[in-house]
Amino acid sequence: MTDTTRGVEVAATLDCSGLLCPLPVYKAALELGKLETGQVLELICTDPGSLEDIPALARQRGDKLIAVEERGDAQAFWLEKGTTT
Amino acid sequence: MTTTQDHLATDRSVRRYERIDDLLPDVDNPTPLVRAHTTNALELYLKLEWLNPFGSIKDRTAAYLLAGMDETGKLDQHELVEPSSGNTAIALAALAALRDTKLTVTIPDGVPEEKKILLRMLGAEVWATPDDLCPVDHPKDGAIALARSLAASEGGNKYAMPNQYENPDNVKAHYETTGPEIWRQTEGRVRVFLAGFGTCGTITGVGRFLKEQDPEIRVVAIEPQRGHRLPGLKSFAEASEPGILDRSVVDEVIRVDDEPAYAETKRIWREEGLMVGPSTGAIVHAANQLSDEGIAAGVSPDSGLKYTSYFAELLGDEGLPG
Repeated sequence: MTDTTRGVEVAATLDCSGLLCPLPVYKAALELGKLETGQVLELICTDPGSLEDIPALARQRGDKLIAVEERGDAQAFWLEKGTTT
Repeated sequence: MTTTQDHLATDRSVRRYERIDDLLPDVDNPTPLVRAHTTNALELYLKLEWLNPFGSIKDRTAAYLLAGMDETGKLDQHELVEPSSGNTAIALAALAALRDTKLTVTIPDGVPEEKKILLRMLGAEVWATPDDLCPVDHPKDGAIALARSLAASEGGNKYAMPNQYENPDNVKAHYETTGPEIWRQTEGRVRVFLAGFGTCGTITGVGRFLKEQDPEIRVVAIEPQRGHRLPGLKSFAEASEPGILDRSVVDEVIRVDDEPAYAETKRIWREEGLMVGPSTGAIVHAANQLSDEGIAAGVSPDSGLKYTSYFAELLGDEGLPG
């Protein structure tokens, strides 16, 4: 699936709407663990804490946060899996 | 399930039981106190909590937590979720299995695989969690944070969380069973009580009961080092202090590092034939630091059978042919 606005191929989408932190962090880490290096995870969250936690997760794991988009009460993140995780 | 009217009902006097949870301890069915060697004047008795039906002191806690939730209707149509370093979860999983209730356990990553396997054998779903799961500004208790978020997510309608760290029924279990058992088993002569800092249900419940019998009884808590490898114990230098801890019943805190705790554990196995877990080694090591005299009771929370992978590292090539 290609995200046309960003021109990136999304390998997996994870909807964490309604889940409170750190549940989205946990689930995102699990999902990223299943991907190959360079593949992109699209992550949807509604907990405002995710705006801090998801970028920190990417830094901690060595993944690349390609983009963040706020959509009303929700946030979308695109994470590219790094080589070290 | 027996259906005839003349079935053999539970009779503790001959140790015959209708269900496994009929073995849960109380003052008339206590876990044993067994003498352990010390290097000082203390006459130390270990309370062998691993002889409980599900293998640890947490059998008491789990039974009281579920009973309390039943009384308040919190369990109605809910699944269970609980953060645990393993023992509470194992007891909860066994009791949940008896009542056909699903249990999800959030467990610290470092807990030995043996415990995670036991939980899965009992039908629980196991979510292994790093302590630093929350990358931003959260305490180092990832398993607790994750269980809380599971309980609060989806409108809070799916899961009920016993929450051993905050639930006063955890303290009540030890105030009503462990404490009175020790008092009776020592004929009221216990002078010192030792237990680890963990959820703090044991130290608070037993400490409170014993001090009500005799305020001169000394209550000693054992706290591990930062980044320790003593499952079940908590260092409050890195973990949040549980809400149920009552520091007014604690007279002294002794810090015990991993190395002497494991060395003492090995000695206990080899010299006393007691197959204890590493937290018992920490408690005996702490007992040896005291200048008190007379009878001491120390908790031996669980056996070492769930820590064989840790012991394999401890032993290296020891015990193998040259």
